[in-house]
Amino acid sequence: MSRPLLEVDHLVMNYTTEKGDVSAIQDVSFTLYEGEALGLVGESGCGKTSIAMSLLGLAADNARFDEGEIRLDGTNLLALTPDQMRQRRWNDISMVFQGAMNAWNPVYKVGDQIREAMDLHFRPRLSSREVEARIAKLFELVGLNPAMINRYPHEFSGGMRQRAIIAMALSCDPKIIIADEPTTALDVIVQDQILQELKAIQADLGMSIIYISHDIAVIAEVTDKIGVMYAGKLVELGPTKEVFARPKHPYAYLLLSSTPSVTGPRRKLAPLEGEPPDLLNPPTGCRFHPRCPYATERCSTEEPPITDIDSGHQVACWNWQEVPELGGLTK
Amino acid sequence: MGKYMARRFIQSVLLFLVFITVTWFLLYALPGDIVTQKFRTNPNIPPEAAETAIRRLGLDRPILEQFWTYVTGFFRGDFGVSFNQYPRPVTDIIAERLPRTIVLFLTAVVTYYWAGFIAGKYLAWRRGKRGEMAITVGGVGLLTVFYPWFALMAIWLFAARLGWLPISKFLDPTEWRNAPYTANEVFMRLFWTVAITSALLFTVQFGASKIRDVGPARATRLGGTVLIIAGFVFYWWGAGGVDIRPFAGDIAEHLVLPVGVLTAVNFAGIMLLTRSSMLETMREDFILTARAKGLPEKAVRDRHAARTALLPVTTSLVLAVATVIDGGIITEFVFSWPGMGEVLISSVTSEDIPLAVAAFSFIGVMALVGHFIVDMLYGVLDPRIRVSGSH
Amino acid sequence: MTDLGSRPPGTELDATDTEAVESQEIAKAESIWQIRWALFRRSFRANWKLFRRNRIGLAGLMIIGLFAVLAIAPTFLFRAGFWETSTYDPVTGLESDPPTAQLEIVQVVEDPNTQIDIRQVLVDGRISGNLGDVVDVTLQPAPPDSKHWLGTDPLGRDILSQLMFGAKAAFGLGILAATVTVLIGTVVGSVAAFYGGRIDALLMRLADLLIMVPGLAILIVISAVIRFQLWHLALVIGILSGFGGVAIVLKSQALAVKVKPFVDAARVAGGSNARLIFAHIIPNVMPLSFLYMMFTVTTAIQSEATLSFIGLLNVDMSWGLMIQLANNQGYLLQGGRYWWMVFPAGLAVTFIAMAFFLVGRAMDEVVNPRLRRR
Repeated sequence: MSRPLLEVDHLVMNYTTEKGDVSAIQDVSFTLYEGEALGLVGESGCGKTSIAMSLLGLAADNARFDEGEIRLDGTNLLALTPDQMRQRRWNDISMVFQGAMNAWNPVYKVGDQIREAMDLHFRPRLSSREVEARIAKLFELVGLNPAMINRYPHEFSGGMRQRAIIAMALSCDPKIIIADEPTTALDVIVQDQILQELKAIQADLGMSIIYISHDIAVIAEVTDKIGVMYAGKLVELGPTKEVFARPKHPYAYLLLSSTPSVTGPRRKLAPLEGEPPDLLNPPTGCRFHPRCPYATERCSTEEPPITDIDSGHQVACWNWQEVPELGGLTK
Repeated sequence: MGKYMARRFIQSVLLFLVFITVTWFLLYALPGDIVTQKFRTNPNIPPEAAETAIRRLGLDRPILEQFWTYVTGFFRGDFGVSFNQYPRPVTDIIAERLPRTIVLFLTAVVTYYWAGFIAGKYLAWRRGKRGEMAITVGGVGLLTVFYPWFALMAIWLFAARLGWLPISKFLDPTEWRNAPYTANEVFMRLFWTVAITSALLFTVQFGASKIRDVGPARATRLGGTVLIIAGFVFYWWGAGGVDIRPFAGDIAEHLVLPVGVLTAVNFAGIMLLTRSSMLETMREDFILTARAKGLPEKAVRDRHAARTALLPVTTSLVLAVATVIDGGIITEFVFSWPGMGEVLISSVTSEDIPLAVAAFSFIGVMALVGHFIVDMLYGVLDPRIRVSGSH
Repeated sequence: MTDLGSRPPGTELDATDTEAVESQEIAKAESIWQIRWALFRRSFRANWKLFRRNRIGLAGLMIIGLFAVLAIAPTFLFRAGFWETSTYDPVTGLESDPPTAQLEIVQVVEDPNTQIDIRQVLVDGRISGNLGDVVDVTLQPAPPDSKHWLGTDPLGRDILSQLMFGAKAAFGLGILAATVTVLIGTVVGSVAAFYGGRIDALLMRLADLLIMVPGLAILIVISAVIRFQLWHLALVIGILSGFGGVAIVLKSQALAVKVKPFVDAARVAGGSNARLIFAHIIPNVMPLSFLYMMFTVTTAIQSEATLSFIGLLNVDMSWGLMIQLANNQGYLLQGGRYWWMVFPAGLAVTFIAMAFFLVGRAMDEVVNPRLRRR
């Protein structure tokens, strides 16, 4: 296969607030390989966006990284100076934001904003003509008319703006793209188009992508590997097909069994009760135990480490063996 | 952009016509025939001359004809003759004073707008919340202070108490006793040099920002600025300006306090507005994108946050034109500074109707022109407006 | 609303149920104004709570209250006999027993108008003496003492009394101007929003013109033809503001109300245009109108003070007039020496304007949730 590109190694991050420390990322580890598409799923507030921000060095001012490392090609990003991090931003890792349509500054032309990114990172500087040519190619890649390069954002439709954002994210040839909820706020048809295009681009250019979403359907379509997050912890990680077919963490299981399947056999929908925990005072032991139907005594006192249960399939649960088979696939 | 400009221009012209119509009706067409009475009862004017003037101005003609004469006179530049400075034509007086007021106005507006914007920008960028109450109360205090009183306090402090600046007036008559130049000559020379210097400086700044490479851009900016300032200094301190300098200095000295006071009061408004506008803009998604692209903080602040925050601030400038002109009128009055505002007040106080009407009309024109310019400025800054024409 | 009690769907009503229905109270039809009043009281309490959170706004409210007390005080003081008119009337009062001081003539100067420095000046022909002589000088304007808490002006009138009358003038003018503004602005804005088309265009053009032309200049020029009195001024300011800026803002608010379903409902119910405008649209833009009242008061008070300062206002006593007097006689350039002439009036105008502005801003936060502190 390919070599490991990004290694998140036992990352711990807290937000310092007036009310105390909020535990946002709790001992998360995963590896992203070259050319791989990883998905991070979870409810809002589970820490997936925090991880994305941390990868770019854009975590909030009050974020503290107490332990762990983020290694990109061997370099620990957390140990870099702000200037060094700035050089890597967009150049090595770029991002397609949630609600990316508003990510455009209304007073500058779209082409100029993309050029801005390129001017920051290309050494030696590209000439105007080269920049223009490159942007034109990127536009074609994402399915936009190059004539729109010198137009203003308000002249683009929502879907077009989304594509332009993707073009901008690709502009500096990053090794990794993070797509944070890339399709929320778009209608279903456009959603599908964008996803297919991203998949094609990824295959074409051999990039790695990290998809972040709360929408499992999106994730399933386009990822090779999937990680399920809950309350700041990675509770299950494994090849997408595997995790979808045989989820072994109760949370993942409940999540997947609550998605009705059109094609598969009929199943009873298992509801997920309760609410995500308050990260200011997270539950002791396993953070999911208050809502877990398979919780035992041990779950409330000891936190389960993430363990291998199969090749590439990891779970953080004491009782993963109790988790039943999923009645029918969702694909 | 062209269409937008043309449209606003036509609107301005229409407004202007409405304006002078209303002005005229207000003053000349009121029952009681005030103006004719004034002519007849004014001691400065000999009776036969009064009758001649009345006939020449057509005051004994039917109303509509009077109106027509007035309007055509306006475009011909003939406003009649001043009562008080009889027989000096009103146009003369206006021509002498209009440039001065424009200078006062422009200097104050450019200064306070720029200073207020920069102050607001910095205050917002440094974690907005700090000292919020102090800034708000202080700013509002400056904004709502009673202007004449504030001006007088400034005079007391800087002129009477500290003696740094002259108390009032346009110049010091004792210093001009045998001057080879007229006040207006010197004034206009001063105005043009400062205006050209400012324009050049602005061009340099603007041009430098278009250069993509940071190194050459900085060099251009620095070099250009130094060159231009050197040129200015060379002109005034060199051979060309050596004998005119003391006179220009006198005028400049008398400008400092009026401009300063006018600037200070309006500064607060822009500062507060910029600050809140920046705070709102900083929350936008595109700021995050800019950072994510790897832009250094200063660039994010200036090129993205400030530039977009500028929009609502510029909108406010539309209303500010009227406010600053009003402020200018009071300033001229308090400082006995001979400009349009001062002549408006003195002509009204002494019931010199032709002069008052003309002064008011020109002040209105100034306001309309200022408004038009701000509209254009806004069109340049906000591309969305150019397309739709409205916001 | 009648409540038939919860019952599973599908069951029938029987005899016992009818009883239950009859014994329940059926709500009586209330008039729309009663409902509005009840809603208003409820929302007022909620809004007051929100307003209270803004400390600056509260401070402003307190300052306004203070000035209101000042405005009412004279009536009480005169009626209750604490103040005799002869001494304390702000315009005609005269301190019959002014303080005197014994001063030494240090330099002989002829200056009949201002007592710039008593130690230096030989005042017209009345005080005669030679260098080194010690003479009795009547102090006018007199510094504050037990009889005159803020001293007297050059004509022997009590400054505190003047301040109070100024407050009365300011409030009277401010409230009148603001009311006129709001009345006109609300109606104009609503009419423009309601009818749209040519009427809208005409009204908005007028408004554009009014906000463009400098207000003070207009007032100055009008005073060439009308000798302004306080209530004239209030009316004119009200008209200018009402047809101007306020109309524009209220029109956009009225537009937002116009598209609400209940307006359509009222129209379908057969409401005439006038009824729709006055009974439905206007009451719903009222909160915003009140907001603009605050800012109008600020402008009105400032304009009045400025006009009296220039001398174009025909008013007995106002703060602007106080400052004018102090300036014309050279006391303002004295700074601290005659501080009771220099500071009270100027600070009064400033503080009351500031107070109304801050209250307006606080109200803005209540009315526009977007502005609230996050």
